[in-house]
Amino acid sequence: MSTHFPPDDRRHLGTRLSVMQGAIAGTFALLAIGFWVFQVAQHQKFRTMAENNHLRRQPLPAPRGVVFDRHGVVLVENQYMYNIVLDRQQSHNIEGTLRVLAAATGVPEEALRETYERRRREPGYRPLVLVENATQAQVIATLARRSALPGVQPDSVPTRMYPGRDMAAHVFGYVSEVNQAQLARPEYEGIDAGARVGQSGVEQAYNRLLMGSDGDRAVVVNSLGREIAEVDRQEPLEGRRLQLTIDADVQRATEEGFRHLGYNGAAVMLDPQSGEILALVSLPAYDPTHFALGIDPATWRSLTTDKLRPLQNRALQGRYSPGSTFKIAVAVAALEEGVVTPEQRIFCPGGATFFGRFFKCWLDGGHGSVAMREALERSCNTYFYTVGNLLGVDRIHKWSAALGLGVASGIDLPNELQGLVPSTEWKQRVVKEKWYPGETISVSIGQGQVNVTPLSLAVMMMTVANGGTRHTPHLLKAVDEGEGWKPIAPPAPKSVVRMKPSTYDAVHEGLWMVVNRQGTGGRARIPGYNVAGKTGTSQVVSNQNKAAAARAGVDVRDHGWFVFFAPHDKPEIAGVIFAEHNEHGYLGAPIAKYAMETFFAKKDGRPLPTLQKPAAPVVAASTPAAPPGEGGNRQ
Amino acid sequence: MFERRLIFHVDWILLGALLLLAGIGLAMIYSTTYVVVGEAGHAGPQVRTQAYALVIGLFALLVLLAIDYRVLAENSLLLYGGLVALLLFVLFKGSTQFNATRWIAIGPFNLQPSEFGRIVIALILAMYFGENRRGARNLSDLAVGGLFTAVPLLLIARQPDLGTAVTLIPVSLGVAYLAGLRMRLLGVIALAAVLMAPVVWQFGLKDYQKTRITTFLNPEQDPRGDGYQQIQARITVGSGGLTGKGFMNGTQGQYKFLPVAHNDFIFSVLAEEKGFIGVLAALGLYLFIILRSLEAARLAKDRVGAYLVAGIVAGFSFQVIYNIAMSAGLAPVKGITLPLMSYGGSSLIATLASFGLILNVRMRRFTN
Repeated sequence: MSTHFPPDDRRHLGTRLSVMQGAIAGTFALLAIGFWVFQVAQHQKFRTMAENNHLRRQPLPAPRGVVFDRHGVVLVENQYMYNIVLDRQQSHNIEGTLRVLAAATGVPEEALRETYERRRREPGYRPLVLVENATQAQVIATLARRSALPGVQPDSVPTRMYPGRDMAAHVFGYVSEVNQAQLARPEYEGIDAGARVGQSGVEQAYNRLLMGSDGDRAVVVNSLGREIAEVDRQEPLEGRRLQLTIDADVQRATEEGFRHLGYNGAAVMLDPQSGEILALVSLPAYDPTHFALGIDPATWRSLTTDKLRPLQNRALQGRYSPGSTFKIAVAVAALEEGVVTPEQRIFCPGGATFFGRFFKCWLDGGHGSVAMREALERSCNTYFYTVGNLLGVDRIHKWSAALGLGVASGIDLPNELQGLVPSTEWKQRVVKEKWYPGETISVSIGQGQVNVTPLSLAVMMMTVANGGTRHTPHLLKAVDEGEGWKPIAPPAPKSVVRMKPSTYDAVHEGLWMVVNRQGTGGRARIPGYNVAGKTGTSQVVSNQNKAAAARAGVDVRDHGWFVFFAPHDKPEIAGVIFAEHNEHGYLGAPIAKYAMETFFAKKDGRPLPTLQKPAAPVVAASTPAAPPGEGGNRQ
Repeated sequence: MFERRLIFHVDWILLGALLLLAGIGLAMIYSTTYVVVGEAGHAGPQVRTQAYALVIGLFALLVLLAIDYRVLAENSLLLYGGLVALLLFVLFKGSTQFNATRWIAIGPFNLQPSEFGRIVIALILAMYFGENRRGARNLSDLAVGGLFTAVPLLLIARQPDLGTAVTLIPVSLGVAYLAGLRMRLLGVIALAAVLMAPVVWQFGLKDYQKTRITTFLNPEQDPRGDGYQQIQARITVGSGGLTGKGFMNGTQGQYKFLPVAHNDFIFSVLAEEKGFIGVLAALGLYLFIILRSLEAARLAKDRVGAYLVAGIVAGFSFQVIYNIAMSAGLAPVKGITLPLMSYGGSSLIATLASFGLILNVRMRRFTN
């Protein structure tokens, strides 16, 4: 056995060992260079990739501000719903994910794909909502399969809840996802796609206050997308709390009154001393909670195609002929302009001839000799034809505007429409024709081109009630910015005229007589509260066209108005009831009565009234025998 | 047999470097297997297992240091027979984990005999070439050496464990090279390998092995599948930067973006948490161990000792280089662990035992 090498053998071996050492050292040098490239030269790139791997920013949507009524009753609050969302950074097999999710939730795969396609343009960091308002069962089924659903998880989000269901729906409006057109507008600056914004009503008008600011949080996730820890959290800032001028009880009573009698329509009630809106009704209504939960296409279709137009806010957007309620504006104009004195009598033989044409009073036998108070009480057409003729259309126009008719009220709700009280200037400008004095006669009793919104009639009653100050109707009473309630200064009045005391007395007393003497408003009488009011009829179709329209399936029955304030010597509430197709204004008066009773009972600390079993809703086409009607004022 | 004065010839520096790397490995295993429970947490069970293996490994190192390597070499045929018997036993009676049969259950422990294949091959080839006066000059010698390697290699590959199997090749090439394998012959072998590659590709590789290679060549083709590990390895290493994210602060390893981080990808975790500085330190230690061990071959009193060291170091170097390259996504993902650092009891024990032989050769350089 040889234990030692021959010398040349050892030299040979030494060389080969050196080669091995050199080769290995060289390879190590290459490795070191490789690590240098990754760790030093390309460090930034890989660091970003590592962060994207494990850090996720998740938005924490802010709850919108809670809305209260004037006495602190919660009108709008928030609830939490579960959405099933997809983190697109986490899922790399969308098709497979949608298939598994469809099986888990029972939502058709097609629908999920459609949702995915629709929302994929939203910013990538925002979880993509695949199933809105998921049921508990869907959430559990999703969690159970989460290993097959990378990046899919339930997400709890605050959403709007309206405890009164469809109560005051048009006051609140509704919230839904901001749309493309809105995103392009400057007032939506800073709002991201996918955010929920107010789409009408107070939710829209005070959207910025109500929205608050979203927070977000950064979480660490592992390779399966499972959350490990939270490393950063920016709490969402809840939206401002708002106190509205609405009185929930008066609002509820008014809506109850309508339902009780089976009418659709609108109503507005306000405080005549400030313009604060106590109740604002438009029926039929909708439940805004459905929008907040993500309205389904079928419900949306039924809301938008319904002939009764539940989404329309009739109080602000419905324009109707005012009928006899317009006589109040003409009365104020006539007395203030001095074309008659309050005591000056005009003889009504059952009509009168103007410009060669006979205009009928609704009472065939005539009212005999009437002064302003009786003319209002009995709604004598002949009296108002006469003073209207003396006034001329432009002075009627001027005083209508002072009382709020034919102009915008400036209410703090979006999309208010303006009514029309014609003038010579208007006719020249729009119709390009001269005004015929004969047209003034019809205008004097609220017919012809005159139209008004229910809100503007309520403003008129407020202005008449307080003696000439046209306050701006408004809904916002106070805001809580986090440091307690801060009252909001009421907006400045739109106009102020000082009515002469004689005017004030005559009109107030005349309207008081409508309710408390022989007038048409007896159904609104409340002992001890001196309700003043006036009924009116709004023709849907002119008499000549009625038969044809009825054959075409149009509901040709007239709408009824009742405008009111109380108590007449020191008014605390003023308003309007507009009942669709109830044919007679006095049939809406009980609604006003019930609302006012509620208002006064609350104010005086008495138990709130309840509705008695009513007389069956009167919807028959024939004129009931009861109080003196005014169906005959049509020519 | 063991003389007191031999103690003075033990290479304490090399031993220290080995223990240092094993300690770093233990720390990295601790970091990647730490179990978080709410606010607190505890070390994973792998740390304790690895610590036991370290103790057993040091014992194995002592045993292989105490017995004269010549005695072991002279009995290498017996050891070889034992190895083949164990591998056969594994094939028929072994315990199966992760679709592979590699282990023999001994009480609570699982022994992986294939890890000891490199030692036995180094011993038998060192003996065969060292006692042959001509060295490994001609083809027939090479064929015999090849045959010795091929039997356990095929048995291990059958388990299947191609990663461990191929580590036998650098061991035998290391011995053969030092034994004077002609460069021309090496060229012929390389050429034959290149020519054989398509045939092996077509008939010899399983589908998953083929995918591993194709995804290595183009990791982006399948970023969630096989290429995923490679991309994640690069992200892990690259995001560590110059100084690293700090011990137990690596996000890639801690949040399991890197599979079996405590095992195949332990070096990636080191790179992430300790940065380029830590990488340089570990690379330096490994290179030191390799160069220092090859010095033992230079000092060896006989060819058997020199060849033995060369074989062991060649196998060790191959594993280290391949694993580190893989940990940076620079080589296809294969089950080749990083000696000394990766989790794995049999591997650590076998590695320490093999360094017992290297220390053995150096220690006995003056004995007759």
